Amino acid sequence: MLLNIVVITLTGLGLFFFLATTVGILRFPDFYTRMHAAGKGDTISSLLILLGLALYNLHHLSLSTALVSIKIMMILVFFFMASPTATHAIIDAGYESQIEPWHNDEEEQA
Amino acid sequence: MIWSFDLLILLFMVICAFFVIQVKDLLGAAIVFGVYSFLMCLLWTEMGAVDVAFTEAAVGAGVSTVLFIAAVHRSSRQVKPRKRWRRPNKAVGLIAAGLLGGVLFYASVDFPDWADPSSPASTHLSPYFITEALADTSVPNLVTAVLADYRSFDTLFETAVIFVAGMAVFMILGQKTKESAQVGIDLTGGYEDTIIRVVSRALVPFMQIFALYVVGHGHHSPGGGFQGGVLLGATFVLLAISFDLKMVLGRMSEKKNLLLANTGVLLYSGIGVLSLLLGANFLDYSILHTLLPSTGPVVARSHAILGVEIGVAITVMAIIILIYTNLSSGGTNEKGL
Repeated sequence: MLLNIVVITLTGLGLFFFLATTVGILRFPDFYTRMHAAGKGDTISSLLILLGLALYNLHHLSLSTALVSIKIMMILVFFFMASPTATHAIIDAGYESQIEPWHNDEEEQA
Repeated sequence: MIWSFDLLILLFMVICAFFVIQVKDLLGAAIVFGVYSFLMCLLWTEMGAVDVAFTEAAVGAGVSTVLFIAAVHRSSRQVKPRKRWRRPNKAVGLIAAGLLGGVLFYASVDFPDWADPSSPASTHLSPYFITEALADTSVPNLVTAVLADYRSFDTLFETAVIFVAGMAVFMILGQKTKESAQVGIDLTGGYEDTIIRVVSRALVPFMQIFALYVVGHGHHSPGGGFQGGVLLGATFVLLAISFDLKMVLGRMSEKKNLLLANTGVLLYSGIGVLSLLLGANFLDYSILHTLLPSTGPVVARSHAILGVEIGVAITVMAIIILIYTNLSSGGTNEKGL
């Protein structure tokens, strides 16, 4: 019962962050801010959902389910390293090809 | 409930396929094609074909996207504007494609329904594999047993197809010197990035261990020679992208790749010839128990499947590195993506 609550909370939070990421990608004004939303939101939401899955898998605690959970945790570690690096690489490529960052014109005039 | 999920994926796939044709930017088309492959992978997972989904994820969504991008990088990125006089050609193409599509649709009516229990495949073949494969080969993963034992000929020639594809790329591009190679848009320019280098350097060993696990554990879980080979090749492609081509070629020179590509196919067909020499049919592994100590005919089949998978993995890895190095440098092996 307690495990279920924890799993639902984690997965729900993950879904919420996925939604926030999608809104961020659609609503932010330029390439860099969009990548900012995609990189951070994607990483945290995938982490939360994978953590939820790893815990959910432990309902019937045995060696085989524990092994599967450990594998999921290893994917999590891999994702935690690879996803921010990929975001960094994409943003860097944008910077290299001289994409102009967005400026708030009203603020500059004031 | 699950069929609506299928329908959604199929709908997205049709949209992706349409955009791949329509998008004018070839780099964009390559990326949309990767999305298409990923959706295909989801669909296959959902249908329970995990091995195929794994291959699709590694080859379709992963490596082939990189290979497309490498090819686009060496040619022009934009489609040329269409000329007016080509309109009739387009109409002829549309009629031909429409006719062919109509014939295919007409023929698909005769197909048995999906998972129809009374179709020929489900009445004889599948029940045999499901009930007898473990007793025949002692391989729990039926897909591996069918792929590398019952359908060994198919897999041998699939490996040969990959080998020939790599050789074709090498024959067309591989002989060029620096002067004769046509250089497209240049995106490189001595670009270095510490974060990417450190992370890929840290991750590559683990990826390679995982790839070896996929090759070796194909008997018990989804995976096998093709998937593991693609993953191994992908690690070198990752190194080539994050460092440069010289670093990869220092470790895996072109000569070494050619040698390995040959070795893999030779290993596979060699196991076949060995069983032929021992008096059984070509690729009939059970006879190999006379060579392997303390194994029966069943365990010999299991061991031979592992040998065959290793051969496939070596070929696939070498060919992917070969195709990538040649495509991304236009055959010069000078400067990569």
